[in-house]
Amino acid sequence: MGHSTSHSTETPLVTGNLSFHELTELVARHAEKKPPMGWYVAIGISSLLLLNLLVMIAYQVWNGVGVWGNNVPVGWGWPIVDFVFWVGIGHAGTLISAILFLFRQRWRTSINRAAEAMTIFAVICALLFPTIHVGRIWVIYWTLPIPNQMDMWPQFKSPLLWDVFAVSSYFIVSLLFWYVGLIPDLATLRDRARSFIRQRVLGIFSMGWTGSNRHWRNYEKAYLLLAGLATPLVLSVHSVVSFDFAVSIVPGWHTTIFPPYFVAGAIFSGFAMVVTLMVIARKVYGIEDLITLNHLEKMNIIILLTGSMVGFAYITEFFIAWYSQVGYEQYAFINRATGPYAWAYWIMMSCNLIAPQVFWFKRLRRNVPLMFAISILVNIGMWFERFVITVISLHRDYLPSSWGYFTPTWVDVMTFAGSFGLFLTLFLLFLRFAPMVALSEVKGVVPQADPHFYDQESS
Amino acid sequence: MIDLPVLRDVETPAPRERFWRSPADLEGGLGDLHNGEFMPGASDRPDGASRRDFLRIMGASMAMAGLSACRRPVEQVLPYTRQPEEIVPGEPLHYATGMPYRGVLRPILVKSHEGRPTKIEGNPEHPMSRGATGAFEQASILNMYDPDRSQRVLRQGVGAEWREFVRLAQELDGATRIAVVSPPTSSPTIRSLRGRLAERFPGMQWITYAPEGNDPSRTALRTAEGRTARPLYRFSDAEVIVSLDSDFLGPTEINLLSNTAEYAQNRRMASPEDTPGRLYVIESSYSLTGGMADHRKRLRSGEIPAFAQALASQLGIGELPGGGAMEDAFLRAMVRDVQAAGPRAVVVAGDTQPPEVHALAAAINQALGAVGSTVSYLDVDEETESSQIERFTALVTDMHAGEIDLLLMLGVNPVYSAPPEFDFVNGMGRVARTVHLGLHLDETGQAAEWHIPQTHYLEAWGDGRAYDGTLSVVQPLIAPLYEAAKSEAEVLGLLVTGMDTPGYDLVREQWSAYLPGDAEQAWRKALHDGFLQDSSYPETTPVLEVSSFSVSPPGEEETEVVIRLDPTVLDGSYANNAWMMELPDPTTKIVWDNVALIAPAMAERLGVSAKYDKGQYVVDVLEITVDGRSVRLPAWIQPGLPDRSVHLTMGYGRNISTTRPPRKARFFDLDHYTDIYADGPLANGVGENVSVLRRADMRRVLSGAEVKTTGDTWTISTTQEHGYMEGRPLFRKATLSEFREQPTFAPDAVPPLHGQEEWEDYPALWQKQHPSEQPATTENLYYENQWGMVIDLNTCTGCNACVVACNSENNVQMVGKEEVGRGREMHWLRIDRYFVSGEEDTDNPAMVVQPVPCMHCENAPCEAVCPVAATVHSPDGTNQMIYNRCIGTRYCSNNCPYKVRRFSFFNWTKTLPETVQMAQNPNVTVRFRGVMEKCSYCIQRIRGAQQTARLAERALQDGEIKTACQQACPMQSITFGDLNNPNSAVVQARKNPRRYEMLAELSVKPRTSYLARVTNPNPELEPQG
Repeated sequence: MGHSTSHSTETPLVTGNLSFHELTELVARHAEKKPPMGWYVAIGISSLLLLNLLVMIAYQVWNGVGVWGNNVPVGWGWPIVDFVFWVGIGHAGTLISAILFLFRQRWRTSINRAAEAMTIFAVICALLFPTIHVGRIWVIYWTLPIPNQMDMWPQFKSPLLWDVFAVSSYFIVSLLFWYVGLIPDLATLRDRARSFIRQRVLGIFSMGWTGSNRHWRNYEKAYLLLAGLATPLVLSVHSVVSFDFAVSIVPGWHTTIFPPYFVAGAIFSGFAMVVTLMVIARKVYGIEDLITLNHLEKMNIIILLTGSMVGFAYITEFFIAWYSQVGYEQYAFINRATGPYAWAYWIMMSCNLIAPQVFWFKRLRRNVPLMFAISILVNIGMWFERFVITVISLHRDYLPSSWGYFTPTWVDVMTFAGSFGLFLTLFLLFLRFAPMVALSEVKGVVPQADPHFYDQESS
Repeated sequence: MIDLPVLRDVETPAPRERFWRSPADLEGGLGDLHNGEFMPGASDRPDGASRRDFLRIMGASMAMAGLSACRRPVEQVLPYTRQPEEIVPGEPLHYATGMPYRGVLRPILVKSHEGRPTKIEGNPEHPMSRGATGAFEQASILNMYDPDRSQRVLRQGVGAEWREFVRLAQELDGATRIAVVSPPTSSPTIRSLRGRLAERFPGMQWITYAPEGNDPSRTALRTAEGRTARPLYRFSDAEVIVSLDSDFLGPTEINLLSNTAEYAQNRRMASPEDTPGRLYVIESSYSLTGGMADHRKRLRSGEIPAFAQALASQLGIGELPGGGAMEDAFLRAMVRDVQAAGPRAVVVAGDTQPPEVHALAAAINQALGAVGSTVSYLDVDEETESSQIERFTALVTDMHAGEIDLLLMLGVNPVYSAPPEFDFVNGMGRVARTVHLGLHLDETGQAAEWHIPQTHYLEAWGDGRAYDGTLSVVQPLIAPLYEAAKSEAEVLGLLVTGMDTPGYDLVREQWSAYLPGDAEQAWRKALHDGFLQDSSYPETTPVLEVSSFSVSPPGEEETEVVIRLDPTVLDGSYANNAWMMELPDPTTKIVWDNVALIAPAMAERLGVSAKYDKGQYVVDVLEITVDGRSVRLPAWIQPGLPDRSVHLTMGYGRNISTTRPPRKARFFDLDHYTDIYADGPLANGVGENVSVLRRADMRRVLSGAEVKTTGDTWTISTTQEHGYMEGRPLFRKATLSEFREQPTFAPDAVPPLHGQEEWEDYPALWQKQHPSEQPATTENLYYENQWGMVIDLNTCTGCNACVVACNSENNVQMVGKEEVGRGREMHWLRIDRYFVSGEEDTDNPAMVVQPVPCMHCENAPCEAVCPVAATVHSPDGTNQMIYNRCIGTRYCSNNCPYKVRRFSFFNWTKTLPETVQMAQNPNVTVRFRGVMEKCSYCIQRIRGAQQTARLAERALQDGEIKTACQQACPMQSITFGDLNNPNSAVVQARKNPRRYEMLAELSVKPRTSYLARVTNPNPELEPQG
């Protein structure tokens, strides 16, 4: 990676004028020292939520899908809404790592590690929901192409099957990508480790990294290849998720705009979640010099961009419904905005389209409390977007005689809350045991990395 | 070797040569020893119990133990169609019998699997059934398997023995003042027992008690000899039909089967040249007959007599007062129509109307010359006696006066249904001995001294007459499930003779009169056919007294209450039947509740609202008061009702006692919630008993009621939450003139897009790889038949018979009120009901019904989205559900535009009581939780018929396969068959210009299609809807 930019004319990506050692200290010590009380409190709460998730799943598997609010016509309820919600969140990490990497957006280095971790944990939560949402979980493996004595294959025309492949390959590639990026940093931790066991364990996970030139060459090559591999996946996974809806014939689902619209929405929600987590983490771990206001501002700009794209898609859907002259389609959209679930629709509209518009103003998009509030609003809005698409479209389709209403049960709510427990527990463990910032990469973008840095200093 | 005397004693001829082992043997000195290989006792244990003894005793014990489980009917019953030499396991047998229903016998065939009746069909050879049934016949099988049936004789609530009752009966002397309360019955055996009982106990009173009240037609129509005359309508020939508050096509109608079959014939249209009749309905409720009407006028029940008078005087029948007010354009146009039709017109009066209106209707029919053409009167072989209510009042007076020694109640429940003025319970307290025979330990059973469990009609011998008088034997399909159960005839027989005579003997004895010649042969034939040929009532002419009668129509401001039989639970006798409790009311689609129906105008005045809340309706509770007695019922706003008329149905608010313990479930287990039988009888706690409002005259129409809101609300579950079609072309209809102008109005309702090809020619997704084009399909033997269905909306009334038939045939599970409210009902076949009106007359719309089974789309949207191929296309063109492949993603249901797929959200069958499990069809998989299910076109019947045809090495006949809904349908609105057979009925039906496919514009190519409705409105009047 060449560095041809002049540091004097550009805002530095990392502030504080930290030396390499200070940087290492800043990040690595959190993985080494005894965690503070606050961490124990946080993981205590999140594991209770996780326990609640396990209890809810056990209750549902024991009694049946009926413990949720799903019915006919609303065959898909909260579990699918939660699934799409978590898959969407799982988009930011790989986007930051892979696409921004390919586009040489070097500011990504401060946030990519945590964002990738978030992606993986979000995809774990996402994979959970379609799995538990089926009626007979004990035969869920029939969706996988496993050779069997019945000569039965899955039905490859079904978008659900595409989903299985899309999400699982996305998960595997993201995990690999994350792990490959971790190797140099794990080696740093290994070198700093004091106990024998810690040295061994980190030694195994850092795969004998010595930092030799050959290692770096292979590493950079692998990272580039994985970035190239992950980039289409970022776009494909949510396109395929959108096929679950777009390939059906339900009015409100059967729309060609869904793939780009879903991808934009996913990036939107993913960045919002990154902002939510980073605003807290940089404060708590004192890494404001690494994750600077400039980073946050850039993410807010992406939120503004993708939020407006999503909002544009909402309006396009209305236009197309009118333009198509299909009564069922028109009713589906009028019903969204004015029907019994209009409240959900307007929550979605105000959170996703209206709220991010404050980021047009530089002062506001650099305001940390405000951006935190907006990011939470966007997360809520994006959950409601999936609710609007899934539930509102289903509850009133072709035959008015079959129209119904969906009400979630306490099990729906507790399961969703429990999925946050899973997510936060994994994320807290990540913060505790792994370097939360990509040290080796950040070191490449600090001003000190410039071969002429010390020239300037001495002159 | 077994030492049997028969072997030992047989004389063997002396052989010419002998074989011998030793000289001693030659001389025979060893005696018996030479017979055995071993010395006697060589194989016996020294303790005396030999191996053989042991085996003999154990073998006998095992055989006995097995035998004790055998419940073969002792008497001989004869299978109907196929008579295998012995029962072939898995091969059901059919037996002809009859179901007593409101005083007539409905002829039925019962399917029996290894001695276990599972399904009821109409008797196709019987003139009054022609193979069809109503909803009640279908459901009656579940009454037999009702887990809450009473199982033992009780005396003062304590278990007793039948022989104790026998002793009691034997000790009675002729001076005992006996009263018998019996439901209306057509049984000749009961009738003759009644005569003999009167001989033994000269003071006997016999009260025929129908909970709905007097039969006004019976009171009004008499023959010259003083016998009852009964109208039999022939609507097939009618040009104009006028119904005066008569729901003659409704599910509770006594003569439903013949009325609907006749009416359907009138309405069936193959081409625009056919002219259907015209139906005018003047009614207070919104009945199914009203839904079929070409013109419907809403009037309070109390005003209809005046309307009848006006009609009569317009037609020149006497000078009748009170009709003037009713004259309007509607009446004048209708009268002109009726006059033009002359003998091809017919007037029908309903049960809510007083006998005078029935007489008037008969007089009009006579004056028009309709008798013999569109209506005939049957001479019912019964002497007219004083009306039910007179006799019942006399009985109650005697009871209170202590002048009855023994009160015998045969399957009636007056404590529940009699008007409170009679104070029947206290009356029973003044009677020395009260005996109740009933299927349940119901309200009356609990108050009676003696309770005897009653046999279900499928368990006991009996007899009866169909509506037209045709005689049938009721033959049992199974020995009584509970040994203590006795039939009406057996209890009466005991009282008559003092001897415990089996029902079979009583019926045989009675029938000896009907079976001349070779009695045994004729008896067998009657059993086999299910009826006795040519035994219907002769026709007669009623003697009418149309002398002026004065009716006082209710005042403008007066509110009337009308009480009717419930279309699902009848008088309460089906209240503990899960199929009927969960059967949507045909008009309101409400399940598990009874409501007070009121008009929108009345609701507005009272400030009553029905709020749609989370898939259910939260409605205000009304307090309805008549003569100071009141009942609280949730209000239901029903468009099309007249103002100031409140409609209630009987049969709810039951209190049945059961011995079944309530279910207890662990805290993490929802078994209690998912078990509709968990908390005792289903009927208990559902709705309110409206008979507390009734006056001592037991009239159905109560004037002078007060209705007010209570401020309470009640949550109502319905299977259809939205009643308007939103302008979508789902149910298509046209008037006759529009039809003639544009015969293809129905398929044209959704025109193809400009410049585009027809919907049918649209290419499908996956067209090239369409499963139906694959060799696996085309080379399959099933490929030669392609199944299709056509449903004629011109004849379908929405009577629900098909829905219950489908439940019974396909093991559809019931889920309870709360789950229906959550949108989880399991019915495979539903009947959509829509209201149709212009903008101005939304409070008086037309009503249309549309049965919706699975459409079996050729481009099925459900099939493409299943990730595990659990729903696939069969080579014979049906869309099949493979239960054991399904993982339950519910994607197929989301993608079904007709929403006919049903998902087992819970394990409904885990908690089914054992007896209810016996009602399940063994040929249909009982579904586990977590799988999708839906209408299969009764694939088990298709495959069964194909097997039969193949074994017989013949081709499949058209009409050989009938789906359960098709077989039950009294209208024969459903046609099913092979599309590859150019002569099949379904192919003919598909040529009908009225045919259309619902949502064809989605290019799903449904195999089920509809024939649009054509109404025949009077051009002088505004058509409705």
